[in-house]
Amino acid sequence: MLLRTDKICKYFGGLKAVDEVDFTLKKGQLKSIIGPNGAGKTTLFNLIAGAYLPTKGKVFLKDKDISRMTLNRVSRLGVVKTYQINHIFPSLTVFENLRIAAQVRKTSFNFWRQAASFGEINEQAEQIMTQVELKEKRNWPASTLSHGERRYLEIGIALATEPEVLLLDEPTAGMSCAETNHCAEMIQKLNTDLGLSIVLVEHDMSVVMSISEEILVMNEGRTLAEGTPREVSDNEEVQRVYLG
Amino acid sequence: MVDNSTNTIQQLHAPPKPLVVYGAIFVLLFLPLVISTPLATEILIWAIFGMGFNLLLGYTGVLSFGHAAYFGLGAYSAGLAFRYLDAHLFVGIVAGILAPMILACFIGALAIRKRGVYFAMISLAFAQMLYFLALSPLKEITRGEDGLTHIPAMALFSFSLGKPLPLYYFVLVITAIMLYSTWRILQSPFGKLLQAFRENEERAKACGYNTTLVKFFSLVISAFYAGLAGALNTVYLGYVPLTTLFWLTSGTMVMMTILGGKGTFLGPLVGVGVFLFLQNTISLITPRWELFVGSIFVAIILLFPGGIMGTVEEKIAAYRMRRASK
Amino acid sequence: MFEIPWNVIAMQFFFGIALGCIFVLLSSGMSIIFGLLDVVNFAHGTFAMLGAYAVFVVVSLTGNFFIGLVSAVIIVGIIGMFVEFILLKPLYGKDPLLPLLLTFGLSVAIPDLIKIIFGLIGKPVNYPEALSGIIALGPVIIPGYRLFIILFTLVAIISLWLFLKKSDLGMIIRASTRDSLMVQTLGINVSRIWTIGFAIGVGLAALAGAIAAPMMSATPDMGVDMTMTAFVVTVVGGLGSLGGAIVGGLLIGLVVAFTAFIAGEYSSVSMYFCMALILLLRPRGLFGEQGRE
Repeated sequence: MLLRTDKICKYFGGLKAVDEVDFTLKKGQLKSIIGPNGAGKTTLFNLIAGAYLPTKGKVFLKDKDISRMTLNRVSRLGVVKTYQINHIFPSLTVFENLRIAAQVRKTSFNFWRQAASFGEINEQAEQIMTQVELKEKRNWPASTLSHGERRYLEIGIALATEPEVLLLDEPTAGMSCAETNHCAEMIQKLNTDLGLSIVLVEHDMSVVMSISEEILVMNEGRTLAEGTPREVSDNEEVQRVYLG
Repeated sequence: MVDNSTNTIQQLHAPPKPLVVYGAIFVLLFLPLVISTPLATEILIWAIFGMGFNLLLGYTGVLSFGHAAYFGLGAYSAGLAFRYLDAHLFVGIVAGILAPMILACFIGALAIRKRGVYFAMISLAFAQMLYFLALSPLKEITRGEDGLTHIPAMALFSFSLGKPLPLYYFVLVITAIMLYSTWRILQSPFGKLLQAFRENEERAKACGYNTTLVKFFSLVISAFYAGLAGALNTVYLGYVPLTTLFWLTSGTMVMMTILGGKGTFLGPLVGVGVFLFLQNTISLITPRWELFVGSIFVAIILLFPGGIMGTVEEKIAAYRMRRASK
Repeated sequence: MFEIPWNVIAMQFFFGIALGCIFVLLSSGMSIIFGLLDVVNFAHGTFAMLGAYAVFVVVSLTGNFFIGLVSAVIIVGIIGMFVEFILLKPLYGKDPLLPLLLTFGLSVAIPDLIKIIFGLIGKPVNYPEALSGIIALGPVIIPGYRLFIILFTLVAIISLWLFLKKSDLGMIIRASTRDSLMVQTLGINVSRIWTIGFAIGVGLAALAGAIAAPMMSATPDMGVDMTMTAFVVTVVGGLGSLGGAIVGGLLIGLVVAFTAFIAGEYSSVSMYFCMALILLLRPRGLFGEQGRE
């Protein structure tokens, strides 16, 4: 097991946003978390990423307890999240955005050598730029990108930090139908071609059903069902929650 | 490799081309021809102070309202070394750099985790602490309100720095080194990180950066500049006024940096030059120059928060964008 | 070792509390402004200085100190409204450091304006006659005016508390402190609440300056020291907490009074040491909410 949570809980005051959820992710798996609004998907996601401290319970990465670690330490260990709302470096160019992320494991506190002379980092940034299809916008400030391009850059930044587990928070939010399909393809490619383990929180059911290996369905902070897309869509409880 | 020539759009606040660095130094060579040499020297000293301050405020996004603490401590450390220990010029300057850096480590460890406005308040309070310490409890060594006098004139390899012009060029050499170093730092991975950090601290964290450490280093580097400027100020004045630790010294630095344009490479230099020139000119007419400077500052905050160079850069970027989209 | 008689210590304690009361008024105003507007008001002490000058002007016109106190609050409150409305409003929603910088600019410019109008030398304000005597509580001798400061602050803070707790406007202010967007959706003009909140905050600062005026006379440069004190109290008490402002203010008052008594030359430094100590031991301040700092 690459990543698992053990009866993880997060309470905001009296609200049990996540309540005793056991989540598991195998190496190389693409697993989605779905559920109606307020089901606790994003909270669970942030607990795994280290953005929230759990109220109770633990998160393990390959048997290492990461539950009390801060966001940046979890990220260094290879569990990297993207954001629902665009969280990029707006006045830096696309290339700079990616290079900042790419240098994190190699040379963060070098004061003197020129950043441009770090060949390996620059190559990595270029390579990821190709993967997320932003090569044409290389020298444009990120703030000038279209919404869809920013979503790609968002994923690219996370990729550049060389994650083992990629946590994607609604990557297709706000995209048109065609863009959504394209983005889903790209995510699947990351999973199959690069062998990345991916956790996906997503609203768009068609995306989830088409690319996930496994799905965790949440409702009111708890696990409702878990299984392959087929199993989940056949589950009566899931149908009841979704269809009302 | 990617073809860069198809795309001429520059990012905002990009580090400048090397030509800008050499150009600035070249212009500064002739500054004493235009304005009085002491004023020119003062501009250089404050510009060094400003470059460090800009690294912290402009490029990292951390506002310290107590930078007088580092400037003043640098001035006093150098002054005390010169006066009581008969220290060599460079020994005094090194003392003036190290002491503020140690102070910055201390203040940083205590307060750098705090959010912006809170850190601003705390840094100011620490600067006041130093001011009042120098004013009264330590007046046996600091000479309190009179300032530290009787500092021997300095010489560099038997070459007297007592005269204005040699002193100016001595300070200019150091300014040039610092200008170049700042440029290097901005191009380094750390410098890139600072800018990313200012843009989006949360995301930098999610990329795996320890953002507290980034702010901490930036503060300590900034204290290096402030201390160096303070020590040079002691060499320049031949004494250490108590006002080097005063809150208005911190405030003046803030105003200069905002005026010139925070987060721009030439901003501190331009800001310091314009500010000191204005101050000198207005105080010829009226002793109430603070009223004017304060009001101008308020107007800049409201109308041009980017300052002089920030506004210029925005205009250039907007022009390039228009041309590129045609 | 010589012994300090207990009644002398009791007197110092009283002095400390009286001084602390001025700090409480000052910092509670700062706290309200920060809580409501998220603005650290660098010109807070400057408004206190304006309060001291207002009391000077009104007292010399009417001869009545109490009319002076009330009008100082009103005059400075109105000035505060204009400042918030014209200068601060355009900055909301932008870089959170901008309001701090703007009020800093005011704190540089306004004292110079006062120097032009009233001259460089401070203006003395006489103690109101009824309070100029001393009061003996057994062997403890207290100047009547200090006792007045303590009682007055008590009344002022209780009224402030009642106002925030019970009145409609007070409740709206408290609600806006928690969640201004929510209040906005209820159909209340939050923008106006902010203006009123800022006026109340600087009004409290003016009260602090006015009530301190007879003891230290009104000087153009008194503002910065008061801003600094308000900062220290705020850091000690916790940012944006009224309870913190009260306890922090009294604590700093006592610290300053006792160091002035024991080691005079350390009196100005003592509160900063106190702040550093609190930062080491309890980083979010005595009453601060976690995460707010």
